[in-house]
Amino acid sequence: MEFRIATDELKKALYRAQGIVERKTTMPILANVLVNATKSGVTVTAFDLDIGIVSEHPAEVSKPGAVTLSAKYVFDIVQNLPDAQVTLKKLANNYVDISSGSAHFKIVGMAAEEYPKLPKEESAPLVQISGNTLLEMIKKTQFAISSDETRYILNGVYFEPQAGGKVRMVATDGHRLSLIERELTGDFKLKGGVIIPRKGLMELKRLLDEAPDAECHLGFAENSALFKKPGLTMVMRLIDGQFPEYQRVIPKEGEKVVMVPKMSFLESLKRIALLSADKSYAVRIGLEENKLLITANNPDLGEARDVLEVAYRGGDITIGFNARYLTDVLSVMETDEVSFELGDEHSPGVIHAPGDRSFTAVVMPMRV
Amino acid sequence: MRKIVHIDMDAFYASVEQRDEPSLRGRPVVVAWRGQRSVVCAASYEARTFGVRSAMPAMRAERLCPHAVFLPPDFTRYRAVSRQVHEILARHTSLVEPLSLDEAYLDVTEPKSGLPSATEVARAIRRSIREELRLTASAGVAPNKFLAKIASDWRKPDGLFVIRPHQVMDFLAPLPVGRIPGVGKVMEGKLAAMGISTVGELRAVAAVELEQRFGSQGRRLHELAHGIDESPVQPERPVQSISAEDTFERDQPLEALGPTIRRLAERVWAAAAREPERIGRTVVLKLKTAEFKLLTRSHTPPTPPASAQELVSIALSLCGRVELPERTLYRLVGVGLGNFRDTAPARPQLKLFD
Repeated sequence: MEFRIATDELKKALYRAQGIVERKTTMPILANVLVNATKSGVTVTAFDLDIGIVSEHPAEVSKPGAVTLSAKYVFDIVQNLPDAQVTLKKLANNYVDISSGSAHFKIVGMAAEEYPKLPKEESAPLVQISGNTLLEMIKKTQFAISSDETRYILNGVYFEPQAGGKVRMVATDGHRLSLIERELTGDFKLKGGVIIPRKGLMELKRLLDEAPDAECHLGFAENSALFKKPGLTMVMRLIDGQFPEYQRVIPKEGEKVVMVPKMSFLESLKRIALLSADKSYAVRIGLEENKLLITANNPDLGEARDVLEVAYRGGDITIGFNARYLTDVLSVMETDEVSFELGDEHSPGVIHAPGDRSFTAVVMPMRV
Repeated sequence: MRKIVHIDMDAFYASVEQRDEPSLRGRPVVVAWRGQRSVVCAASYEARTFGVRSAMPAMRAERLCPHAVFLPPDFTRYRAVSRQVHEILARHTSLVEPLSLDEAYLDVTEPKSGLPSATEVARAIRRSIREELRLTASAGVAPNKFLAKIASDWRKPDGLFVIRPHQVMDFLAPLPVGRIPGVGKVMEGKLAAMGISTVGELRAVAAVELEQRFGSQGRRLHELAHGIDESPVQPERPVQSISAEDTFERDQPLEALGPTIRRLAERVWAAAAREPERIGRTVVLKLKTAEFKLLTRSHTPPTPPASAQELVSIALSLCGRVELPERTLYRLVGVGLGNFRDTAPARPQLKLFD
């Protein structure tokens, strides 16, 4: 194997691999990327047995071949090369010579034959989608994914095609829930919803962020998802299991509805939560006539209080919340005002844009 | 100078059995579960003359003393008797640190019974245990816990031994280093390699050298060799961890451990429920392979497990983090709940669903 490639191209390929390769693993080769040079160019593959990406790059290949190399070390090297071009050449015993300008590196690699094979997902019916829309959907649900590894089913986002060319994405950790419905026209040929794991979703987000306007395709087959954009293919295993019946926990309409200026609400929550007890981010929210009060008290520090002027005429209520659950939601919303709906102090609070429930966040209160 | 008493019940479980069943008196009694891998919980002194010791495999005890009476342990009864012992101890001081059902340290520097010396306290305790419970206990009296424990063993069974402050150095000098708590086979070997086999020889080594070789453990060795042990008697320490484990009759593969893990987790949960003011945050799964390789996996969920079911499911899920080859067989599995804290005032996050 021998090829010459633009340093920036190789850097891009290795950057994409960083989030996927496993550092702590019983299979050392999973810390490597598979570099494969063919007549048509070079592909760089990263795979952790659940998520794999194949990144294609133009290169002058003088001798086709393949080898695997440490994703981390080679990325560090490539970031520090002196020249805009770099040559990779496989030597005996899977050593690889990396040369750029006056610099030479001789790096230990591992045989390409030992690299695990990515699942072939040619059967997946691919649907062309808007990268921007998918990116928005990921950003507005990812924060509600459960990080409790024992609640495996909740360690991902539920992807559920709806009638009329829409797709719903839902994430929940059992304490709060985030739902978004957007147009992603096309037939995914799915019988119901599927659960996309957090790590795969984060990688997908990173790839979409690179160029959200690029032509993107998404498809599902068996128990995996396939994502393609020019020069890149991603395969990931889905979470196997039944997502909870989320519709059940979304209240129809709260008894108490208030329009709140989003930025002031967000900033006030962050400010007051500084005084919440034991890093619980517990704050109390009080609604009175034309007033929204936010308070917190910490037995060791003291107390904090803030007031927002709002148009409100429902009954008085004081309810506890984890401020972070609210700020997570407010930070991803674009509207100047948000609709905040409450029932009683034990019922969930609901946030959505005024008159638009296509993005809805549900947050359970705290007992305070 | 502190005055510490160590009380150690003689062949406790076996003695309780002999007391309650007159036909067992004078006969070798071994308390152990039946089974390939069970170990001896207690052996009466009659059984000990045949070489039976506690913690020895039950099979071996059976070979050594085939005519012994083997009884399954009845911890409920032993616990009840242990409480009665504790009541006797508590008459003399509130500074009682139980080590197990049959052992405790007492700080009797200022006994509330007003007896003139620690030796008198030890005598009174032994007398009460004999008269009220019809059982015997050995007692050690010394200026600290470490010496008191050695002393209680010195005249066992049914004995009393006192180490007075001025006798400490002479008493310790000829003892093998293995008598020092924390010196096991490995440390003994390392010390032997340095030409040290007695406490007196250990004392001759400079503190700096011990510390260089063994770190903080070296410093501790140096102190103990000089009869210094400042560790206080800690009455009823709040629970730090609760665990249960089981050794299989036959080694099992990982996928067969589910039912045992479930049972152990339920047992741990039941024990934890008896400590409502403390809450365990970390779930631990412990495994020992057929080759005696020990591994543990733990998980601290964002909110502590709140039900037996939750504990069971976390313990089971930890199996997924065992990365040994599938054909690995296990001889032991244990489930623990650790990292206990005082229960925080309730401010729970309500749930959308379970």
